[in-house]
Amino acid sequence: MSAAGATTSTEMITALVRLREALATVALPLDVPGAEDHRVMRSAMVDQLEDYVLPRLIQIEAPLLTVVGGSTGAGKSTLVNSLVGRRVSEPGVLRPTTRSPVLVHNPADVDWFDKERILPGLARTTGATGDPGALQLVAADTVPEGLAILDAPDIDSVEERNRTLAAELLAAADLWLFVTSAARYADQVPWDFLKAASERSTAVAVVLDRTPPDAVDEVSGHLARMLTSRGLRDSPLFAVTEGPVDDDGLLPAASVHEIRSWLDSLASDADARAAVVKQTLDGAVRSVSRRTHDIADAAGEQLAMAHRLREDVDRAYDEAITKIDDASADGTLLRGEVLARWQEFVGTGELLRSLETKVGWLRDRVVGWVRGKPMQAERVTVAVESGLETLILEHAETAAERAEASWRSVSAGQHLAEDAGRDLGRASRDFRVRAERSVRDWQHGVLEMVRSEGADKRSTARFLAFGVNGLSVALMVVVFAHTAGVSGAEVGIAGGSAVVGQKLLEAVFGDQAVRRLAEAARADLNERVTALMEEERRRFLEVLDALGIHEGDVDGLREVSRRVDDLRFADMAPATGAGEPT
Amino acid sequence: MTSLVEGAKRLVGRGSDVTDRIDGLAEAARSARGRLDDSLVDEASAVAERAGDRLRLSGEHTVVALAGATGSGKSSTFNAVTGLELAAIGVRRPTTSWTMACAWGADGAPELLDWLGVPKRHQVMRDSMLDEPREDRGLNGLVLLDLPDHDSTEVAHHVEVDRLVKLADLLVWVLDPQKYADAAIHDRFLRPLASHKDVMIVVLNHIDEVPQGGRGAMLDDVRRLLELDGLGGVPVLGTSAKTGEGIPELRGVIAKRVADKATIRKRLGGDVSDSATRMHEHSGDAKPRELANKDRVELVEALTDAAGVPIVVEAVRRASSVRARRATGWPMTAWLSRLKPDPLRRLHLDRGKAGNDPIASARSSLPRTMHIHQARVETTVRDLCDGVSDGLAPPWVRAVRHASTSRFVDVTDRLDRAVTSTDLGVSATPLWCRGVRVLQWMLLLSALVGALWLGVLAGAAYLQLPPPRTPDYQGFPVPSLMLVLGVFAGIALAALSRVLISIAAKSHARKAETQLRAAVADVAEELVIAPVVLELVAYRRTWEGLRKARR
Repeated sequence: MSAAGATTSTEMITALVRLREALATVALPLDVPGAEDHRVMRSAMVDQLEDYVLPRLIQIEAPLLTVVGGSTGAGKSTLVNSLVGRRVSEPGVLRPTTRSPVLVHNPADVDWFDKERILPGLARTTGATGDPGALQLVAADTVPEGLAILDAPDIDSVEERNRTLAAELLAAADLWLFVTSAARYADQVPWDFLKAASERSTAVAVVLDRTPPDAVDEVSGHLARMLTSRGLRDSPLFAVTEGPVDDDGLLPAASVHEIRSWLDSLASDADARAAVVKQTLDGAVRSVSRRTHDIADAAGEQLAMAHRLREDVDRAYDEAITKIDDASADGTLLRGEVLARWQEFVGTGELLRSLETKVGWLRDRVVGWVRGKPMQAERVTVAVESGLETLILEHAETAAERAEASWRSVSAGQHLAEDAGRDLGRASRDFRVRAERSVRDWQHGVLEMVRSEGADKRSTARFLAFGVNGLSVALMVVVFAHTAGVSGAEVGIAGGSAVVGQKLLEAVFGDQAVRRLAEAARADLNERVTALMEEERRRFLEVLDALGIHEGDVDGLREVSRRVDDLRFADMAPATGAGEPT
Repeated sequence: MTSLVEGAKRLVGRGSDVTDRIDGLAEAARSARGRLDDSLVDEASAVAERAGDRLRLSGEHTVVALAGATGSGKSSTFNAVTGLELAAIGVRRPTTSWTMACAWGADGAPELLDWLGVPKRHQVMRDSMLDEPREDRGLNGLVLLDLPDHDSTEVAHHVEVDRLVKLADLLVWVLDPQKYADAAIHDRFLRPLASHKDVMIVVLNHIDEVPQGGRGAMLDDVRRLLELDGLGGVPVLGTSAKTGEGIPELRGVIAKRVADKATIRKRLGGDVSDSATRMHEHSGDAKPRELANKDRVELVEALTDAAGVPIVVEAVRRASSVRARRATGWPMTAWLSRLKPDPLRRLHLDRGKAGNDPIASARSSLPRTMHIHQARVETTVRDLCDGVSDGLAPPWVRAVRHASTSRFVDVTDRLDRAVTSTDLGVSATPLWCRGVRVLQWMLLLSALVGALWLGVLAGAAYLQLPPPRTPDYQGFPVPSLMLVLGVFAGIALAALSRVLISIAAKSHARKAETQLRAAVADVAEELVIAPVVLELVAYRRTWEGLRKARR
């Protein structure tokens, strides 16, 4: 390594550490299509960086790690034993066999593997163990210095831990010695692994094991064609015939001679070894940095989905607020119960209304009513309360239902809604109580408003005549007919009633003040409704916030990935004189 | 009682049993369509249809499929069992690309093979072969399929296997010492088919490659793995197609199953119960329920309020009393009541003689049942849904809620129409009122006559004319009597009528209320209750169907 190379390598390590960090923290919690694949891919990438790329970059001169991987029953353990020349891994007829991986190395290389340099997740043992979370280290003179052989578990047995461990070990390998057999070589699972290896240009040697002698030519020819067509043309292919094993369970030396000598030559030639390491390492870095963009895309999709879900909620609740706002101002609330009580309060009849303009007469009439039945104002208040409350409650229910329904229309949202439980689609349990309190607070506020407005008019006859209660009821009615979206015959009922209230108030406070009071009361109501709905909305938003999806993740990932690419090209340019296409 | 019937059914034969279960599943799928997840429903109806199809086809034949990984020796086993070199075998993987079929006993077999989708050129009829070894007799009724592999790089093979594994009656899984622990077969086939263990045989082929001493251990290991898959008790045979070891035993097991004829039903039963169990998990186990009468009453109550029925009823009461008072009041003061508004007219509900005019009845001017009352209706409907769907699985809760609100848009309109088109029965003035009115006028007339008479008398007295003789009645002069009695009797009559009127008005109002309520109840029934009941019926059917299917 040159001095320039060393700085690049330090920078590269820094960049890759940042990349690992960014990958590990990016949140992919929503079930958008393909999210599960991306999660698996992300954790594989993080593992590969931790288990292989970073340790390898830090100690570029460490021995070449050859991982012997392949299907269950393909004869991996027998092959490793035969290569080493003694029984280091326990083969067996029962499937799956190897449970804890065995690493065979030259005694001189022990330091490289003793510490937790590579595969930090596996404990080291020196004795045989069935624990799949351990790595058994075996020192053997027969293994050349600078090369280590790791017997991995199978990639395709029913034992899931074997499969994941094998994938992890293969991702940590400098060189794959991929073992398949005559019965196996067309299986789908191994080819998925080989395809992945070819995509990230890992150095692979393929061993066709357990081949009947008479089928060697046909099968190895077919396998070679399959390798070529799948982009592994340059991988060496070794055929090992199925034959009797000796007492130690070793194949005859002649059978594995070819592989053995290839490994020896690789071990003795530092340049060749470095080339293998570089090929695999570069391939790994390139593939990680390329796939980072996929993860960034996935994170982008997550972000977009989270936005969408947030908008769904906002739309439902904004609409609820708008609708309540409309309904509390266009005279709707003056229908039904409120209207009936109000009319009881002010009196009714064509005669009355035809005389509306004669405020004086009207006032007298109302005064009579109020004095005669002081409870009337109270009854209007109660009617207003229950009317408003029902209105708010219903819209809260509708909004929750709508928000939940639109979440349910996409699978990501559906999972969220299911996790959040059944109550998400309903208004919260204590909403009725809170709505009641808010409405009462508002009415109290209106009362206070009238009281303080009338402070200097307290002694006036008119004010006394109506009382604070009567006037605040009138103000509520005016508020409810604010936009007076009533037309035609209904003017006669709702609008007309509001006009009575308006006149009444104007007579007491003057029209400027009435307009101001009505505005203030309306704004107050709106504020309270918004606050109520905000609390409801938060139930949904909290679910989204808990996911931990951040805006900056996507750009962060891309940026680190670009940094890695830059360093990669910088490293490559002086060495090869041309950039490698990615 | 039912258990007796069921017991009898079981005695008569299992045939009706599996048919019932298929019907149950089909019914459940039909009823759950649109309510449960589509993929589940699709699967259930496909299973039911497939099972029905299979039952219609030859029951004399048992379809036995040899399935397994590439290189496990399915084709050599096929050849060994048939005793013919029908299927190509080789070292190149994957060898078999298409399904090969061999049928023993041709009657009905071609239809069955067509249904299985095995092309003619890959069918062999065993009894069309001239040589018929004696041991083949036992295999009469067997349709043996040699499937392609499920684990090679050829994806088309996987599709073919997936398809035929669903159709075969008996599955023979051919494993080999190298591959018997592959995740591909355990995770994708054996574990998901755990409920079909009665119609499964596992063969460990290439047993000749295992040293004699290790065979038992390996077969035990296969059994162990099968146990883990939930397939404990499935027969496991060690065979070697190459040396012929174990093949006669395999033939024997197959022959027994074929002769038994129960395999088809067991297989279909397994399919049906699998699918039904999956549906059941989503559909839930809550007992089906009916809409309680109380709920209906509450809903009608809420709708009645929303439609403004109390307002109308009150208006009817007031209107009929105003009108009757106008008719029966003392004529001297009755005109005053004309200044009062007619409550019904104000609501545009007084249709008078044009009562049945559709245009006039198009819209009342009741306080519109918008927003505020709509809110009350919606709350009531929601409560109704909550009550009735309590304990049901979430998909059904959603279905009920959706059904109840599906026609909300129409509610306002229909309520309005219900109120306007109901005959309130206040257009005509009652007969007795007319009589009273005539009486009133007569009394007034008599009072006037009396007054006039008295006036004349007074005038005559003023002019000092000799007073004409005035008749008297029991000492009271008739004109005075006429005036006083006319006035007082008129007032008294008016007062008496008032009492009668208020009674009559109340009964009027009650009648109107009953009719309005009936009209509103119709709307509730049609727009809310009927859709909800439909969902509840669907749930009952699904529940019953699934119970039948899972028995």
